Amino acid sequence: MTPPVDLRPYLDELERFADGQMTPIEQEAFEQRLENDPGLQQAYEIYEQITSDLRWVAGHETLRHRLQGLDMRLDQRQEALGRMHRRQRRQQRRWGAVAFGAVLAVLGLWLVFRTPPRDPQRDWIKYYVPDPGLSESASLSSHRPLLAEAMEQYRAGHYPAALHALRRMPTDNVGQDTVLYYNGVILLRQDQAAAARPFLKRVSQMSGSSLANKARYHLGMAYWMAGQIPEARAALREVASDSINPYRKPARQVLDAKVIIPQDSSR
Amino acid sequence: MSTVINQQLAETLTQMRVGNQAFLISFYQDNRDLFARWARRQHQLDPAAAHELLRTVLVDFYDQVADGRLTKMPADVRNHLYGMAQERMEAATRQSTGTEELPAAEARRRQRMLRLFRQLGSDSQLLLMYFYFKAFSFDKVAGKMGYANATVARLQKANCLRKLYEIMSRDQSETDGAAGISPSAG
Repeated sequence: MTPPVDLRPYLDELERFADGQMTPIEQEAFEQRLENDPGLQQAYEIYEQITSDLRWVAGHETLRHRLQGLDMRLDQRQEALGRMHRRQRRQQRRWGAVAFGAVLAVLGLWLVFRTPPRDPQRDWIKYYVPDPGLSESASLSSHRPLLAEAMEQYRAGHYPAALHALRRMPTDNVGQDTVLYYNGVILLRQDQAAAARPFLKRVSQMSGSSLANKARYHLGMAYWMAGQIPEARAALREVASDSINPYRKPARQVLDAKVIIPQDSSR
Repeated sequence: MSTVINQQLAETLTQMRVGNQAFLISFYQDNRDLFARWARRQHQLDPAAAHELLRTVLVDFYDQVADGRLTKMPADVRNHLYGMAQERMEAATRQSTGTEELPAAEARRRQRMLRLFRQLGSDSQLLLMYFYFKAFSFDKVAGKMGYANATVARLQKANCLRKLYEIMSRDQSETDGAAGISPSAG
């Protein structure tokens, strides 16, 4: 469908008329011609139709471009918000991990360095070195059968029976220090610290007895069991500083462990 | 209450008819994500395609108002626009430019003008949109486009219009040639 009239020769003045660019005289002359010149009239109608369509297209395209521009801005905003949220989440996760790690570290340090709760029973078992008792021998069995029986019962852990046998022994058959010492030791094994103490004390004061040194250790431990802390420490320090005392080492160990403390858990 | 709403809708329609597109712009801004979710559920459209569909529907709606095909604002604009989107999805093969319901000759003419307009350079398109749609004065066009003065803007606009007319004439010749009509027959 070829336009019936070529607009090009008319376009300049049609535009000037439509855009209000003509002087009043030019406009009057143009309007006059428009009424008399069928070619110009047709060109004018075509021009009006083109500009009308152009207005429609311009509106259509303006909205399309605006919506596209808005879409791009919204996409960018959403992307920026997404990035921000991701960064926040990453930071939150990082801080969470740091906090978790710190809690774990504190917990670990606490576990490593915490002072374990005192257990007097456990400490006693750990640090008390009981007397092994007299070893079984033929002469002991033949000459001092009651002492042999007492030692046998003692080693077997039958302390009341051991004590009973010991107390039946005639006093002239065995040294007094031996009887006293084993009385004290057996009573201590029966957790009767208060009862054991006088026996052990007496032996420890017998300067001529070979059992005096041993008795000092057991006396110190009897003090500990009875909750007499200063006396226990003093007795054990004496043992620990005595180079010939067979209980020197265990005495040092119990002192170094600092388990002899005044508390209600003391035995 | 309903009278007030009707008045507001009528006012929106009037504003749109004189080229105020703010209502549609703000509708897009407020409903883009909501619409995309709906389109994904209803038609398995990805967000970018859904956004494009909504933009097309809004331009279509605007064309209807500007053409005078839509004389009364729908009471529920959102529902109406979703309905238009639904129709478009159902007739996916039909490439609508919003001119189907116009008389055939007019629809063809506008569709052709739209196609040829898009062949212009982006500056020419922008200038013609400023002048013919936004009705900017030559002074304002000069300011917007960075021209020295109103006279330059006027000359540029005249050039753009000539370019468009040249494209239209060339297109017409090609169409006539394809149809076997000799130029002298016009």
